[in-house]
Amino acid sequence: MEVTDLAAVSRARSGDSDAFRLLVEKHSRVIFRVAYRMTGNEHDADDVVQETFLRAYRQLDSFEERANFSTWLHRIAVNCSLDLLRARGRHDKNRTPLTDGRDDEEREVEIASSDPQPDRLLLSAELQKHVAAAMEKLSGNERTAFVLRHFEGMPVEEIGQTLGIQVNAAKHTIFRAVRKLREALEPLVRPNPCNT
Amino acid sequence: MQHMTEEQLVAHYYHDDDAPAAAASHLLECAECRAQYETIRRVLTLVGDAPVPERGEQYAGEVWTRLRWKLGARKRRAQWTSFVAAAAVLAIAFFAGVWWHMRVAPPPPAERAAVGGGATSIQPVAATRQAQDRVLLVVVGDHLESSERMLAELANANPKKDFDVSSGRAADLVASNRMYRQTAATRGDQRIAALLSDLEPILVELSHAGKTLSPDELAAIQKRIESKQLLTKVRVMTAQPAPPTNSNSL
Repeated sequence: MEVTDLAAVSRARSGDSDAFRLLVEKHSRVIFRVAYRMTGNEHDADDVVQETFLRAYRQLDSFEERANFSTWLHRIAVNCSLDLLRARGRHDKNRTPLTDGRDDEEREVEIASSDPQPDRLLLSAELQKHVAAAMEKLSGNERTAFVLRHFEGMPVEEIGQTLGIQVNAAKHTIFRAVRKLREALEPLVRPNPCNT
Repeated sequence: MQHMTEEQLVAHYYHDDDAPAAAASHLLECAECRAQYETIRRVLTLVGDAPVPERGEQYAGEVWTRLRWKLGARKRRAQWTSFVAAAAVLAIAFFAGVWWHMRVAPPPPAERAAVGGGATSIQPVAATRQAQDRVLLVVVGDHLESSERMLAELANANPKKDFDVSSGRAADLVASNRMYRQTAATRGDQRIAALLSDLEPILVELSHAGKTLSPDELAAIQKRIESKQLLTKVRVMTAQPAPPTNSNSL
């Protein structure tokens, strides 16, 4: 598969836009998922996907063929996401700290389709709010490292490459992220003594 | 018994620990560490359950559709930049040619005799204008030949079939046509300017035509080429002799 990516990059570099299209088709959904996890907002994630591929196209010459194209693309995507989050932090400081751009009602409707019990719906929506709020408390690096390790299953070495840090530092960044999440969310996951 | 640190527990959860078997063994024996590990696992499971909006199979196509426009714009900008550079070189060559011609070529004997001679002094001006016209013709020669080839392909195309358009080539011709038309108009070369003005709408239409012309579109363009005798006019213009070099100085 990686050979295919490299071949497509090589052709795209020589001006073959169809080759670049293959790369977009192969990676866009994964990049959307990463972007959504990073930004917590669907529309922002769509923007990040566009920007990621645009930057990738413009920087194709800087891609080293011994590197992994997917890792390289992830790096661009997280940088785009961090740029966006920084911009959002500057311009939207008073924004309610959440979530994916949808209001509670929308969330509840979405959950309702998979689980019809009303009290469960409210609980799920509430939990998601807490999770989103906890994620927003992570620093850019922590968030990136956590998203790539937890959701994308990226090896620590590649996370280190993506963030431009050593492997041990990447491991420690993941740990810090988990600790912050634990601090914020542990009260929600404690086993109920009445049920035990 | 030494307990595992929180960092070791997190590393074990992600299988990033150096000695996973030892960690697993410890967790079996140590209830306190097992409880810690279970809390971490629950928290991470809760985080992992957060849904991501679905993007269907068509998403990649949508991304590409929006992206292609941007990549294309960048490409067109690059083409435009290189065109402007080429146009600048041609314009410099043109005006240098005019300047050189005026300096090097002395007026013919009859005109020389007429210098300062009242009404007959119009003749050298006319001769200079004619020479400039010819220099401009040389400069736009390549452009007219390219346009002629495209017009000939159109005129000779089978009107019952779709016609494959090279819209990129047409767009390049539109850009150069505009530049030469403006130069010719500025110089007062009305014959060339008029021909390029007639040519331009056809080129613009082709540049916007997409990949193919339908038989109806092709027939309409063929009719316009014929009604304005465009192909003939372009051929006549490109068939004009090259400007004299130093023949007048002999």
